Amino acid sequence: QCDEGETVIKFSHVTNTDKHPKGIAATLLAERVNTEMNGKACMEVFPNSTLYDDNKVLEAMLQGDVQLAAPSLSKFEKFTKQFRIFDLPFMFKDINAVEAFQASDAGQAMLDSMQRRGLQGLAYWHNGMKQMSANKPLLLPTDAQGLKFRVQSSDVLAAQMEALGGTPQAMAFSEVYGALQQGVVDGQENTWSNIYGKKFFEVQDGITETNHGIIDYLLVTSVDWLDSLDPAVRDQFLTIVAEVTEARNKESTAVNAAAKQSVIDAGGVVRTLTPEQRAAWVKAMKPVWDKFADDVGADNIAAAQSANQMTN
Amino acid sequence: MHEPRTAFDRFQENFVAVLLGLMTVITFANVVARYILNTGILWGLEVTVFLFGWMVLIGAAYAVKTKSHLGVDAVLLALAPPRRRQFGLFAALCCILYALLLLKGSWDYWANFANLPATEGRWFPLGFEEKFRAKGWYETQDTPMPELFGLHPLDWIQDVFNEGEEYEKIPRLLPYFVLPLAMALLLYRYVQAFVALWRGRLDSLVASHEAEEAVEEAAQKLKDA
Amino acid sequence: MEVALLFLLIIGLLLVGVPIAVSLGLSSILFLLVFSDSSLASIAQTLFSAFEGHYTLLAIPFFILASAFMSTGGVARRIIRFSIACVGHFPGGLAIAGVFACMMFAALSGSSPATVVAIGTIVIAGMRQVGYTKEFAAGVICNAGTLGILIPPSIVMVVYAAAVDVSVGRMFLAGVLPGLLAGGMLMVAIYAIARIRNLPKGEWTGWREVFAAAREAVWGLLLIVIILGGIYGGVFTPTEAAAVAAVYAFLIATFVYRDMGPLATGDGRANLSLFRHPAALLTALVHPDTRRTLFEAGKLTVTLMFVIANALILKHVLTDEQIPQQITEAMLAAGFGPIMFLIVVNVILLIGGQFMEPSGLLVIVAPLVFPIAMELGIDPIHLGIIMVVNMEIGMITPPVGLNLFVTSGVAGMPMMAVVKAALPFLAVLFVFLILITYVPWISTVVPHTFMGPELITN
Ligand code: NA
Ligand code: NA
Repeated sequence: QCDEGETVIKFSHVTNTDKHPKGIAATLLAERVNTEMNGKACMEVFPNSTLYDDNKVLEAMLQGDVQLAAPSLSKFEKFTKQFRIFDLPFMFKDINAVEAFQASDAGQAMLDSMQRRGLQGLAYWHNGMKQMSANKPLLLPTDAQGLKFRVQSSDVLAAQMEALGGTPQAMAFSEVYGALQQGVVDGQENTWSNIYGKKFFEVQDGITETNHGIIDYLLVTSVDWLDSLDPAVRDQFLTIVAEVTEARNKESTAVNAAAKQSVIDAGGVVRTLTPEQRAAWVKAMKPVWDKFADDVGADNIAAAQSANQMTN
Repeated sequence: MHEPRTAFDRFQENFVAVLLGLMTVITFANVVARYILNTGILWGLEVTVFLFGWMVLIGAAYAVKTKSHLGVDAVLLALAPPRRRQFGLFAALCCILYALLLLKGSWDYWANFANLPATEGRWFPLGFEEKFRAKGWYETQDTPMPELFGLHPLDWIQDVFNEGEEYEKIPRLLPYFVLPLAMALLLYRYVQAFVALWRGRLDSLVASHEAEEAVEEAAQKLKDA
Repeated sequence: MEVALLFLLIIGLLLVGVPIAVSLGLSSILFLLVFSDSSLASIAQTLFSAFEGHYTLLAIPFFILASAFMSTGGVARRIIRFSIACVGHFPGGLAIAGVFACMMFAALSGSSPATVVAIGTIVIAGMRQVGYTKEFAAGVICNAGTLGILIPPSIVMVVYAAAVDVSVGRMFLAGVLPGLLAGGMLMVAIYAIARIRNLPKGEWTGWREVFAAAREAVWGLLLIVIILGGIYGGVFTPTEAAAVAAVYAFLIATFVYRDMGPLATGDGRANLSLFRHPAALLTALVHPDTRRTLFEAGKLTVTLMFVIANALILKHVLTDEQIPQQITEAMLAAGFGPIMFLIVVNVILLIGGQFMEPSGLLVIVAPLVFPIAMELGIDPIHLGIIMVVNMEIGMITPPVGLNLFVTSGVAGMPMMAVVKAALPFLAVLFVFLILITYVPWISTVVPHTFMGPELITN
């Protein structure tokens, strides 16, 4: 439905358009671009992995076949290992600390860190903090021993589960519900909105509020495409991106709180940790940092720590 | 084209058989690992799908030779032989065009992963691009670089494609190489089929269903019984 | 409009004898080059992601392999013996036993033609010996063979699940009741015909024969326990279940039934004992029989997957041009309700089934109609079963019908004779299709009971 002469912006993502935080943001971005930039640019959104999945979309972007995508941050570890910082357990104490780090010089520099590889980060989009669930109560790290956990494909996350004495299993996201229900795997980690959206709470003993990690997305485009834009068009586009990002990120805390409440309302069991229990989880998982500290860089870790303190 | 099988044909048959065997064994081993050894083979799934892709794409070229590709021959059978031959030659030309376009597409897709230039031109290659972003650094998701008894048989590709920097996982250029390779083989087989049609040694490109040979065997058995 | 051109091109190429895979791929490539700004490289990428991006499809080669090890003749023979022992004494007994054997073989095999070849080869000959006409025998087996894709495991169900991203396990479970129902309806129809036409019946051979036959057949039939039990018992994912089934089938064929491999001997003589030939444990892996079975299964996988991969290219191009959205909007704007919509789906699939191999057709049609079905509140699993039943009917209707070809080949009859022979039973399947389409309960009750409703959280 794009008109002749408009710059076509294809945005391929993997969630729905109206419930998932990323999908909502993408829809909002498209609406604003299509009204405010009418005649200059036109955005087509391809949701639900119909065009590309997260593994393929970045390849397609470098090829020039798609212009926007928002994969989760761990997908960028292939481009620069700095992004492993977002997968390290207990690196950020809450979503405000994540936000502060992303806004810091270190966080902003990471947006530009993949230019050499042809990608330009535009904005961080929040999903939220990760929680853990299994088919038995998880209160201490020893509870996770011997369990099989589905993880996203990432060395850091695999190492994290091994640090708990669990077995990491790779598995397509669409198979996770069935695998949890049938017991092919015992547990998983995810944000409240994913746990509610994919109904994982129905097939788990309960969800433990660990807040041990984060799932955020990077809105990304290709350097070559961005450079090819007329400067006025580019500025207007980037302004809209910034405004949509701010508006949606502000909502993310509320979205996750609502998802958590919905889990409880639907009969899901939510367990919170005492400070001592939480300390035990930190103690069990933090050794993972050593293994990846060099990849992430000391300055980035320092910036993350100061973000944790700033947001006290 | 029931011509004698060459050594190259036998190699391709064994290739398909061995890859399917490996896929089965790896997937089975992952189940065993999970229940008996209480670990998982994290790279198992990815390696299996790569083997799957190699088997099907290389096998697709060989299937042209054995006339196993499925198609509709109802119309062809209703035609007089000379007209059938014309249709066959036209169909073979379509296949050759398909293989040519996909060979270009495959090269363009793969080349940058191997730090090589893709071709210019939308339909047909019009020379190689001068400026491009090399993607030799781009690794697969889960498959580690192989290590056998302390040997690292693939480490040399780091020097060639990744400026000496270490690969944690095998680079994408390895699994994706099957695309240009298979499309070149496919092109070769379709040209071969075209020649066979031209010379009258072949009457059509397609099998009407997936079980033609099994049916021939079964029919023979029934007749004997 | 442009889309109509695309589909006309595909059909045109098919009719002049271009392979299905190339017809789909070439038409899509030309369409993309003319109407879109995406690159040829994106086509190559899509071709590879048929494997890399669709883990579900990985179950297909394993199910084909399991079926290949089980199709050595020995398994089918044992299943048929068991069937005859159970139901051979009814009027039309051998025909009913043929249907029963097809149902059991369908539970081992994911494809319909494989079922026809395995069972048909033996049963058609047997039926003629006891006085049935060749036509009647062919008509029965041709129809009952279609159950191969309705009774789990089923390659067509795997393809549907991959195309629209629903659970393979639920689809398999959903096929159980409809499969039993369709088989039951065919048996009742045969029984009725047998009473009217006074067809031959066998003799009741007693419970001892039933048990003896069951003991022989049980090794093969255990495969379905491994597949379904493994998936629902939480032991495997469907893909893993398929691989385990393949390994199991290899072990049974080589070391228990000894129909193939180092312990097999020629016709008539007793097979060798593993205890006398322990080296067979190793030589079986490289035995020519094993190699040939792997290659034959590989070749079938290659041809099916090459069609599916090219159908995925077409799907990619359609998505790129936002065709599914346009169709959804048009259909919803036309005010289609669920009933009208399902009629349209049935008609599209029945017509499409005349030209296309079922898996390829599903890859194309499912993503087009799925979003509309979800808007209309149709259960995704129910939609899948409707599609599978349509594919079954497509297999036994002219001009193009997989099972017609196979049956005419196996029975040595001209195609049109098989078509005529299949007609009365085709009528049964049509009634069954209407039943399945408008009584969703038949498809959904089993998966809902065991696994809850399929969630579409997209
Ligand atoms: Na089946
Ligand atoms: Na048909």
